[in-house]
Amino acid sequence: MRAALTILGKDLRLRSRDRSMLLFAVVVPLGLTVLFSFVFPDTEDLELTAGVVDEDGGEVASAFVDGVLPALVDDGLLTLVDVDDAKDARRQVEDGELDATWIVPEGFSGAVAAGETAELEVLVAAGAGIAGEVARGVADGFVTELEQITLAVAVDAQARGGAPSPERIEALAAASQQRSDVIAVEDLVTGGEDQLDNISYLAAGMASFFVFFVVGTGVIGMLEERSQGTMPRLLAAPIPPGAIQLGKSLGSLIVGLASMAVLAVASSLLLGADWGHPAGVAMLISALVLAAMGVMALVGTFARTVEQAENFQSIVAIILGLFGGAFFPIPGEGWLIEVATAASPHGWFLQGLSELVASGELAAVLPATVAILVVAVVTAVPAVVLQRRGLA
Amino acid sequence: MTQVLRCDHLWKAFGDLQAVADISFTIDRGETYGLLGPNGAGKTTSISMVAGLLPPDAGEVFVAGERMHPRATTAKAAVGLVPQEVAIYPDLSARENLRFFGRLYALPQKELDARIDAVLEVIGLTDRASDRAGEYSGGMKRRLNIGIGLLHEPELLILDEPTVGVDPQSRNAILESVESLATDGLAVLYTTHYMEEAERLCDRIAIVDKGRMAAEGTRRELVATIGEQDLVRLDVAGDAPQAAAAIRQLDDLGSVDVEDQAVVCLLDGAAQRLPRLLGAVAEIGVAVMGVEVREPDLEDVFLHLTGAALRD
Repeated sequence: MRAALTILGKDLRLRSRDRSMLLFAVVVPLGLTVLFSFVFPDTEDLELTAGVVDEDGGEVASAFVDGVLPALVDDGLLTLVDVDDAKDARRQVEDGELDATWIVPEGFSGAVAAGETAELEVLVAAGAGIAGEVARGVADGFVTELEQITLAVAVDAQARGGAPSPERIEALAAASQQRSDVIAVEDLVTGGEDQLDNISYLAAGMASFFVFFVVGTGVIGMLEERSQGTMPRLLAAPIPPGAIQLGKSLGSLIVGLASMAVLAVASSLLLGADWGHPAGVAMLISALVLAAMGVMALVGTFARTVEQAENFQSIVAIILGLFGGAFFPIPGEGWLIEVATAASPHGWFLQGLSELVASGELAAVLPATVAILVVAVVTAVPAVVLQRRGLA
Repeated sequence: MTQVLRCDHLWKAFGDLQAVADISFTIDRGETYGLLGPNGAGKTTSISMVAGLLPPDAGEVFVAGERMHPRATTAKAAVGLVPQEVAIYPDLSARENLRFFGRLYALPQKELDARIDAVLEVIGLTDRASDRAGEYSGGMKRRLNIGIGLLHEPELLILDEPTVGVDPQSRNAILESVESLATDGLAVLYTTHYMEEAERLCDRIAIVDKGRMAAEGTRRELVATIGEQDLVRLDVAGDAPQAAAAIRQLDDLGSVDVEDQAVVCLLDGAAQRLPRLLGAVAEIGVAVMGVEVREPDLEDVFLHLTGAALRD
């Protein structure tokens, strides 16, 4: 242990003199969090000014115009502006007076009742940005919900052996109106069911992304010792070969934990992020740093040079970060994306934080913590074995 | 004399490559022992086994009476290794480098501080002890590299080609340091492919080629393996192998080898027989551009034993 601590001390001294480490560990993630918070504004900052034209006048159209949209107005997310007709709406959108306009075309309700494809038109102003995306999302969410209900009715009708009655259509519209909460605007910005606010999500995402780079340098430290010629000298010293591995791993662990802790505290104090209960955050951070060490160490064993290892690590860190939603939420469509997302420690980390914030209970982080630790063990064990072979 | 190192029949292969084949030698206290051979001869593999970096496939190494292997901490504590590549941390100062490696050898703090000062004095880096090692010249880095190997006062110092890539002034300083270390009673294992270094430093020399020990002894003993013959070197302008073949037709020649554009012969009574040699070469129309007659050295011994020049 004495030798491991000596190696740890030397590594920490060297890393404290590496300015790029400070950039990767604190400055860049914090800076990107601030930058992205402007690109992806919080839902509280969203202001969608839009109009709606009901050319259909049917029950289903009414569900949208009188059910879904007023709910968004009540939430303070939407300012609904009166428009005369589609022509007037188009002019206002083109002039930039409105961010968007929804047009419910004639025959919309009938098409829904007949089980045919129904299209809800959305006109979006050129400079609407995220507000335009929200407008599209509102329309998509409503149509998707309608399709689900239509399918249910069709199945029902099939079972009853006839076309749906007017009463059934009325029930369909009522059901749709009752489900006006299906479109959560937060979903369009931060995605899924998480309860983290925008800045917290971004801060946690950036921290989880960059910690892979922070620990990556340490876990390939033995490769670095080889490249600078100091490994023979370490191996010739009267210390167990395992002490080299242990010392270097401890260095990565400490730097990774410190980086995450500094980012959690700094984003909370400077940007008002809310990561949740500190004990739960500590559990998730510890698990994530271990997983990052395992993944990066395993990736490093496939490389022959430090440069090669860093390239491999960068590719893996970016892929895992993207699929884990470190930058922005990835919709879970397609089995490949779902598998990749489930394998990403970033995704579990963000999910764990979300559940921690939502419930306020420590137990909420356990599933995510266990999932991250599984990744850590599955990657670290072969990495350690392969590294030990390299020491022999 | 106290035996510090004993290598018994060492073998080591990497896949199909037999890097070391049946190498045995011993080194006593105060003795400098040289492994002389070209690059790839098996010198570094041999010292890797001596330093406990590699386990031998067969054979054994004993340092200060302790069996050496990769986990042998007692035997390793008796060895100071100076790798061929400069093995220092460029972002640490000389003092920090020495302190780090000293701690790995578990030197007590007070003793460590004293040893660091002493070693800095020996390697001439006291004034630059607090500067980043990355800012040092090549020679200063080499000296620090050697200083780290000396820090814990080992019984056996292994120097693996310590003068490669070093300017003549620093090289001379390194050679002087090694000479004084041996005088102080240290056992030194020195690998080199520079014949003149081996001749200057080493009490005994092993000539190593293709993983095997071709010969071992003092310089005098090795040169004697050629006999009391003189070495004649003819630099030719034409076909050197053809000239060598013509000379081989003459009787009573020890050996005739081709080295670049020269024919190198070992023979008795060179002064009397030189005209016949020149005549044989002239007969086949090859012009002789230069003639050298001298006593043989280790380079010639190597050529005689292996049929190749050291620099090959």
